[in-house]
Amino acid sequence: MRNQLNERVAISGVGCTHFGDLMETPAIKDMSLQELTAAAVKEALDDAGLSGQDVDAVFAGNAMVHSSQLPATYSQMSKWTGTQFKAGVHFEAQCSTTNVGLAMAATAIAAGVYDTVLVFGVESTRSKVKDYSPYEREPISHQQSWLWTDMAVNQAYGVPQGYDIFSSYNGLVALGYCRKHGISIEDFDRGMFELCRTRRLHGSMNPKANIQETMEDAAKRKGLSDAFEYWQSENNPFVAWPSRLLSLVTTADGASAMVLTRADTAKSGRSQPVEVKGFGISASDLPWYGEDPTIWKNDERAVEDAMDMSGIKAGDIGYLHTHDCSHISSLCTAELIGYLEPGKALDAAREGRLRFDGDRPMSTHGGRHAFGHAWAASAGSDTYEAVLQMRGKAGKRQMPKPPEVSVIHTHGYAMIGTVIVLGGM
Amino acid sequence: MQATSGKPNKIRWYYEGLSKGVFRASKCSDCGKFTFPPTGCCEHCGSWNVEDAELSGKGTLLFATHSGSDASHPRFEKAAPFVYGHIRLEEGPIAQAIIQGAEPTPEDLKALYEKGPVPVQAVTLQMDDLPVIAFKLQD
Ligand SMILES: [Zn+2]
Repeated sequence: MRNQLNERVAISGVGCTHFGDLMETPAIKDMSLQELTAAAVKEALDDAGLSGQDVDAVFAGNAMVHSSQLPATYSQMSKWTGTQFKAGVHFEAQCSTTNVGLAMAATAIAAGVYDTVLVFGVESTRSKVKDYSPYEREPISHQQSWLWTDMAVNQAYGVPQGYDIFSSYNGLVALGYCRKHGISIEDFDRGMFELCRTRRLHGSMNPKANIQETMEDAAKRKGLSDAFEYWQSENNPFVAWPSRLLSLVTTADGASAMVLTRADTAKSGRSQPVEVKGFGISASDLPWYGEDPTIWKNDERAVEDAMDMSGIKAGDIGYLHTHDCSHISSLCTAELIGYLEPGKALDAAREGRLRFDGDRPMSTHGGRHAFGHAWAASAGSDTYEAVLQMRGKAGKRQMPKPPEVSVIHTHGYAMIGTVIVLGGM
Repeated sequence: MQATSGKPNKIRWYYEGLSKGVFRASKCSDCGKFTFPPTGCCEHCGSWNVEDAELSGKGTLLFATHSGSDASHPRFEKAAPFVYGHIRLEEGPIAQAIIQGAEPTPEDLKALYEKGPVPVQAVTLQMDDLPVIAFKLQD
């Protein structure tokens, strides 16, 4: 493949809702999915200085149609977003959805077909439509949520034979990492604590995050003076030894959106545009790795393609998000990309280097644990954060020096490795 | 690709084998590698030229952890939490499956981890509605 964008493409607007629970979280409580989507889309269109009628096409992402009951999302949302009569398609790449949408939009624009494309993702992982009601929702049980989510995982042989996300994504990867780098289980646990503490810190500085409580405050709430004691307590059980509950995703409802346009017209918009320098996408089925659980071939390919298209090197990256449904997996990916030294990611977490003010900042919105995970909307929330950081508009968690180059990696269950590279214009 | 008329589909064929303790795969006539569990196409080279094969069920357990205590699927409600492992099969494929012969406790799993790779043998677990492959520690 030629692996090149024939015209320069920019993100001219981004939007993202508060991630939380439509039935509980004050900022989004009782909103319909139509309104939740519209809130993200309005923010992105306003940011770009456009209306829904200014876009040429709409790529509408929603992964778990079981809970949304909104197939043909592009047309069902069109009257809520002002985009009627535009080209549209509903698509999903699970947790990579919005960034795969970004890649599709960039491809369409660089090919000369469309000038401006709206991409959005919307998801409810916490509740579902109640009794065919147009506006009432009811909570989804833990098991129901995983049954629907795992429909994106090998349905012939994986899920029917006991596939377990916590094992495959966390415990086995953790053991592979410790064995490979000679790290003790105790040091692993401490490193995972520090990583989670950093993500919680970022979440506490992000008014849109699902969890805005620091680890220290969570410990205090449970009557413990020490955050590490809280980490090792019954509040944080092993879900797949040696991986604990707080090294995982927290589920959320949410929506995100972005406007992509030709780079030569992007500057006429309202906000500072960011260029899409390149992307790479590679999918694989279970098992996601061979003998070494830390090496994922699909990620290697996605990273290689994104680096090749964008012409950047690891040393150019100023901000990185890697998919962190599983914290240990996210560190393996950061090492694979070359952002962190092999085997040193846990040390980097302990030394505070992964904080917004560290020298290797990662996932400053709080990541999938603190910002939360709303499947099809999440990759867009990662891109949203990168764009804010690059513009110097990330508020309390703003990196001291806005990054020139950002890389965002996501895993679309299961498993679509997606890497996008953003750069200043 | 083989004609499929009159034969069970590949997925049914795999589970019918499993219920009899036979571990079915497909083998590529072009690159010689196995696809396990079977499909109608080689997962390594994309060739459609694959034939039915059986695996020995012998393997090496590389790493073992445990599942969540709440089963993510109703089929495993009685079994969860269970030990879940990363296995290299004698014929080459990598598999992940339920492990028998250890408890899903940090103590047992730590002992297994410190021991390093150990031999395992595939067995069939008959769940209420479906046979499921598991691997038994061989010591
Ligand atoms: Zn082959």
